Amino acid sequence: MAQSPSLTSGERAILLTIAPRIVPASAAMSPATGETMMQLIGETLVSRTPAMRRQWRVFLAVLRWAPFFRYLRPLERLDGLRQDAVLRWFQDHRLQVIRGGFWGVRTLVLLGYYGQPGTGSSIAYTPSLDGNGVLRARARR
Amino acid sequence: MLARDADIVIIGSGAGGGTVASELAPLCSQGVRVVVLEAGPKLTAQDYTGREVEMARRLYTDEGGFLTEDRAMSIAFGRAYGGSTVVYTGTSLTMTEAALRRWDVPGLEHGDIVERSRKYLEQNRVHLLPEEDINDNNRLFEEGCRALGYRVEQFPLNLDGCRGAGICNLGCPNGAKMGTHRVQLPEAERQGVQVVTNCRVDRIDDRAVVATVSERAFGEPSRWPPGEYRIGAKAVVVAGGAIGSSALLLRSPVAAGLPALGRYFTCHPALILVAQHDRPITNYHGHPKSYYSDHFAERDGFLLETCMYFPFTTAKSLTGFGAEHARMMSAMDRLQMILVLAIDPPEADNRVVVDAAGQPVVRYRFADGVRRALVQAMQASARIFFAGGAARVHAPAARQFFIDAAEANRIDELIPFDGLKLGKVTISSAHPMGGCRMGADPSGSVTDAWGRVHGVPWLFVADGSLFPRCAEINPYVTIMALADRAAERVRREWPHLQAHAAAPRDNRAPA
Repeated sequence: MAQSPSLTSGERAILLTIAPRIVPASAAMSPATGETMMQLIGETLVSRTPAMRRQWRVFLAVLRWAPFFRYLRPLERLDGLRQDAVLRWFQDHRLQVIRGGFWGVRTLVLLGYYGQPGTGSSIAYTPSLDGNGVLRARARR
Repeated sequence: MLARDADIVIIGSGAGGGTVASELAPLCSQGVRVVVLEAGPKLTAQDYTGREVEMARRLYTDEGGFLTEDRAMSIAFGRAYGGSTVVYTGTSLTMTEAALRRWDVPGLEHGDIVERSRKYLEQNRVHLLPEEDINDNNRLFEEGCRALGYRVEQFPLNLDGCRGAGICNLGCPNGAKMGTHRVQLPEAERQGVQVVTNCRVDRIDDRAVVATVSERAFGEPSRWPPGEYRIGAKAVVVAGGAIGSSALLLRSPVAAGLPALGRYFTCHPALILVAQHDRPITNYHGHPKSYYSDHFAERDGFLLETCMYFPFTTAKSLTGFGAEHARMMSAMDRLQMILVLAIDPPEADNRVVVDAAGQPVVRYRFADGVRRALVQAMQASARIFFAGGAARVHAPAARQFFIDAAEANRIDELIPFDGLKLGKVTISSAHPMGGCRMGADPSGSVTDAWGRVHGVPWLFVADGSLFPRCAEINPYVTIMALADRAAERVRREWPHLQAHAAAPRDNRAPA
């Protein structure tokens, strides 16, 4: 299976660590669905400015290694509860730039999961071109 | 560089550019060459797949995620044949007299805006939806507002043949939305206006436009082959939206000396609020935006509108992650949504600038009043949700992920003012305004009351960038009214503009 060309193996590894903490259901993704997630994230990054891509890479590295100062381990070697605590620390950080960095990573993971058309049916999202027809059918019931 | 000649070049094809194109189209019968340059593609019917990420990539700048410089807010604006009119929900409101009075533009009267707005409400077949087409998501908002004594109104909508696909913001797959891509542009083309898509304008020189046409993997091919063009013109009308027009003029030596250029940017910063019911409701079937409340506009500075978004946009709008987030996302058919819009003040330092590559950058600081309004709006929305029967509410500034119905009497305590943390909360905007504001004084404005750029008699602006401050309502009808004025001015001045173009080049004529 072809890998998303814009993501390095290190970036993929950290994303695969974070994704189940952000979206628990992503832990059960098939390899193909996981690859689609990486593809969506990679394509989105490619369309951004080089400066933004650099910031993303730096932030991912910070996310990975910041826990070392407290737990003497990188993020991927912590248990789930500690990973959550680290992510919450970033999310609620007193500096806007740190909160914003986490928001960006979280948003891309959400895009990679919920942006897949196949996710809809698992979350009761099944729109119809004839939504008014659905409304009328339900009103008749 | 390839050379082309036109008489009038219109840059952008949305509510502003599409309107100008249709109003100037009758000149084509007199031999006047009118060309519209549009950065985005013209999609075919098959291109409207309704898939969230795919359509965002096809129709929006930066996939709808254009970020402010500090990353605290994303701004969504369309990039297509029809501009943002392809991706709005069609809400068609006329600007209020009180809001226009606050604009304080000499020569711009409310009666004139009302008259021109009426013309486009008719042209775009604006009407109210029948009751049977209103889903629970909208009905519960209305009922909740009424129960609480909040003023609530039905949105007039510009639809023809709406089947309630519910994905207006992804482009209507049924072609029911009466945007400029359906109404004004086809009529303009029928009369001889040429619309060139996939054409990004790099700068405006002295009565000439430098632009690049590229190819895309989707949509119809552009009318012009790929390449770099220099298009001579006797008049240029800029209608690339608040961000695009400001950035283009900042890149263009002809207008770059105006001190107000790019400044006084406003955008109705918005939050998507989500509540969960204990049973399925109808929400993503049917038109997503049928009601609004301006109950709090004058006193507290915010508007409330119904809305219904798609899985990724919904997930992004919730704060937090993990099990609680997943619980909220687990059943989209139980969600009720409200869109909050803050009425933001015009501030000189909120502005569009361009970076070293000429790309637009938006610098935006949230005024204290805007932050306060957003939190008050969350509190008011929570009350509406509970009054409509919601079981639990998610407010991004709340102390906890869910506020349960049993806690409804503690809303103010649970949604504190210091809970709104920029960078953590997803704040978005779909109403970029200002940057080329109208006014009488060239030191504090960019154009006159008719959209003509101060000191450049052949250069006009005709879009939301003209707004001296925010519109306090969904802006597209007002943009069309202002574009109608700009087109009238071009028509009236046309003999003079032709003569001026024939004279020796004097770019900066007296104002």
